[in-house]
Parts: sequence; structure tokens; C-alpha cells
Amino acid sequence: MDNAQARIDMAPLPGMRELRRRSNLVQQFVRFLSLNWTMYRLAKHHG
Amino acid sequence: MARVVILGAGVSGHTAALFLKRRLGRNHEVVMVSPNSNWNWIPSNIWVGVGKMSPDKVVFPLAPIYRRKKIVFRQANAVALRPNGDADSPRGAVDVVYTDPKRAGKTERIRYDYLINATGPRLNFEATPGLGPDAGHTVSVCTPSHAVDAAKHLATVIETLKTGRRQTLVIGVGHGTCTCEGAAFEYAFNVEHELRAAGVRERAEVIYLTNEHELGDFGVGGMTFSQGDHRITSEAWMESLFRERKMKAITQAAVTKIEPGLIHYRQIDGTDNAQPFDFAMLLPPFRGVNLEAFDRDGTDITDSIFAPSGFMRVDANYEAKPFDQWTAQDWPRTYQTPLHHNVFGIGIAFAPPHAISRPYATPDGVLVAPAPPRTGMPSGSMGKAVAMTISDMILHGSPEPTHTASMGEMAAACIASTGTGMLSGTAAAMSMSPIVPDHSRHPDTAGRDPQETTGDIGLAAHWVKRMLHTLFIYKAKAYPLWYLIPE
Repeated sequence: MDNAQARIDMAPLPGMRELRRRSNLVQQFVRFLSLNWTMYRLAKHHG
Repeated sequence: MARVVILGAGVSGHTAALFLKRRLGRNHEVVMVSPNSNWNWIPSNIWVGVGKMSPDKVVFPLAPIYRRKKIVFRQANAVALRPNGDADSPRGAVDVVYTDPKRAGKTERIRYDYLINATGPRLNFEATPGLGPDAGHTVSVCTPSHAVDAAKHLATVIETLKTGRRQTLVIGVGHGTCTCEGAAFEYAFNVEHELRAAGVRERAEVIYLTNEHELGDFGVGGMTFSQGDHRITSEAWMESLFRERKMKAITQAAVTKIEPGLIHYRQIDGTDNAQPFDFAMLLPPFRGVNLEAFDRDGTDITDSIFAPSGFMRVDANYEAKPFDQWTAQDWPRTYQTPLHHNVFGIGIAFAPPHAISRPYATPDGVLVAPAPPRTGMPSGSMGKAVAMTISDMILHGSPEPTHTASMGEMAAACIASTGTGMLSGTAAAMSMSPIVPDHSRHPDTAGRDPQETTGDIGLAAHWVKRMLHTLFIYKAKAYPLWYLIPE
């Protein structure tokens, strides 16, 4: 049975700290470098 | 001199063509047969579909690239394979019908030594009555022109919302066996993002309608992400994101019919429902393109080359068995066809041996079963692997394929945009390894490597997606050192 909407209504919302992290330019720049490295490593290792 | 013919200039076919020509040089011929004059970076069509990117940014003409790289380009539709040749020659051949304005409608039989079928999908809008922008009541973002049309409809909806009227936007998939739920997910969240940017979000209801059994399935059976020292399912991750963005969701649904302003769908418990809409973007299911195959004497051998879905049979285990007995080892490794060792099928064109997500059906047998995605990163990897194999066969006489790219072994990274903007954009960055869960290698972590199966949401992921747009178009244009950019 489709209970997706009920689960969405009960899902936890991200806190203020998490929301700030997602848009903080310094943290996101570091994350940008990290994501690039992760993807490059995956592609080279598995490609 | 050997001739390699490639059917289809999508991600996998174009990648294969470039790598083949780079390795084979001028002594051998690489022929690309594609009905389209342009190459399309499909992952960015969602931004065209919300009016945030012009269509010329996602396409470029193929002919100048192939002229520069000395690849022969035939703008034509492949209509028939003759893997054993014909009455004139035992050499394999493919029949094509030209689509370029100068030779439109003319036919040619092109001989080959090696053939790569990378024809991609046929967009099967006809599978659901009323589906699609041409003969139906919904829009699509599958092609640049579809996406431009979707953007126009969305702009109209936003204007209506600005007058104070409420609007319902339904975005998802238009059939129980669709794939590419990730693209529908991206488009839904980009639309939501644009509605907020236009200041009309409160008057709009945005509903994601999907055949996935639960949110976050994406046709790959969902994922369990490592996030620091804890783990979270993609289902819980997505539910939180949907709540945060005030999006609604209908899962486990097979759309059965679309009337103007009304979507009919059946869910796996057998209930029939109808969802009114003012704007609907529903992706179609895919089929193989209409390629037939003939033996030397003209006997139709289509069924021995292609699965009933129209996709090409390759070196996979197609034995029918229960879902719980399916394994990652069933998936193809070399993409060589079993009957013709000089023919390969890659990208969406190969027939997957089974679904990755558990398939369901309604009590009366309507399938609610996401088909496995095989686009993007895996498509490029298959193209490269097959190009390396064929060039080894030609240059070194290798009797067997020398390179593999199994979705049961390779990892994939997926950046799902949830809104564009250099400072306001967000995306969900997901990686998984392997794509097809391998429960024998990872019995305690849902078949995937916990170190390489990760998820994160934020502005950085949007930057990565935007960077990949530029990077992959650079690579597809075969600019200097293109081959250093990984698939």
C-alpha cells in the first residue's frame, strides 16, 4: 500500500545547522573539492 | 582496413566512436550512423525545461566534430541488421535510411567488420493513451524541443499562479515500467525551485507521481548511504527532502490513461485513482528502436538478436528466475552478442537481464516495475570498454573481448539537481558501488560497498552538476585532451 505521503508527513526536517551547512560558501567549496575527488576516484577505479 | 560501424551518437555511441578513432588512427574506418544532426547532453534538459538554460547550450552539431576527427558520419536511421551478410557477400551489413535534408529517404547498405548498436531508446509515448506532447496531454523533457515546450507550459502556469489562481503540477513517470525516475525527480524539484523563485509557491501543489515502490528507489532498488558514522536509506533521505520542500508524492503507481487535465493510475493494491492536473510532465517508457534483423537468405532473425522489448541481447544471463535468485553476475560484462562476436550492444540499447528494483504488479497483472537505468556514467564506461575491445581485436587480433564494464561491478555517481542557481542552487550527490547490488560481495550492506555508497545535499553538488555540464560537452566536442576526462 502506498504510504509515501504519510511517511513524508512524519519525516524529520533538517535543522538550522544542516540548512546553514548546505549553503555556507566555505563549507560547500570544501565539499565541492571532496565530491570531485570522490567522483574522479570512482570513475578511474571502476571506469 | 577494418570498418567499425556505430549506430547511435548518444553518450555511449559517441564515446565509443571517439575512443575507437583515437586508437585505430587513419588505417581503419569508423562510421557513425545517427538520425540526429546534433548531440544532446540530456542531463541538462531539465534546466531547459524550466527555462533556465537555452536549448543551444545542451546541443551541438555532430558533423564538424566527426569531420575534424576523421570519423565518417551518416545522418541516417538504421532499419535492419544483416549480421551474416546477404546474397552478395557474407560480410555483415546494416541497412540505413538517410534523414539529412540532402539525401532524405534514400537507402544504403553499409558493410561492417564490427558493429556497435548504441541506438538508445525509442520514446514509447504510445504505451499510455494520452501520454506525451505530440498526441497526448502531457509535456516531456526527453529532447531539447520537448524541454522548450515544457518551459513554455510552465511559464503559462506561473503566470496563472500570479493571478491568484491555484494550480496543480504533476511530475513523474507515465507508465508502470518506466525508467529514469531520477530525471523526473530532478525536474520536479527544479520546478518547485522556480515556483519559489517566482514567489508563487504557496498557490501551487507539486506532486511527484512514480512507479517506484518507495521514494529514493530510482530504479536501482534504493541505496543506503554512509554519512559520517551513521547510515541512512535513500527512502528516508528523500522523504525528508520532500517534506522540507512541501512536495507531495504518489508511489507504486502505473499510469494507465491521461485525459485533458486528468491522470488515471492504478496502484499495486489494485485501486484505481485519478489525479487532476494543470501541468503534467510525465516521462515515457522506453523500447528498443525498430531494428529488424535478417539472415543471408532474407529470413527474419529479429527474435534471436533482440529481446521482446526491442533491446539487443548481449552476454547477460537471460534465464527466467525469481527476483531473489537474480544476481549481479547475471549482468553483461563485455556487451558482445552471443551469436555474432563482431556485434556489440551498449548503453540503453542492450537488453538488461532483469530489473534491479523488485518488480511488482497489480492483482490484475499491470506491471509496476521500474526498469533499470543505464544512462550517463555507465553508458560512457560501456562505450569506452567496447571501443578498447574492438580496437584490440583489430590491432592485435584478440580473439576475445579484452575490456569489461559490468553494472554489477562498476560504481556510478549521480548528481540530481534540485534547483539551479550559482548561489541558490542545490543538488543531491549520490554515489553507489556497484550499480547492481552484489549480495555475495556485500551481504550485510544491501549489496553495496558502504564506503562508496554516499549521499549529500547542498550547493556544492549543484556546482558539480554545472561543472559536469561544461566538462562533458568539452569532452564530447573532442577538444584537446578530451580523453583525460573520465566517463
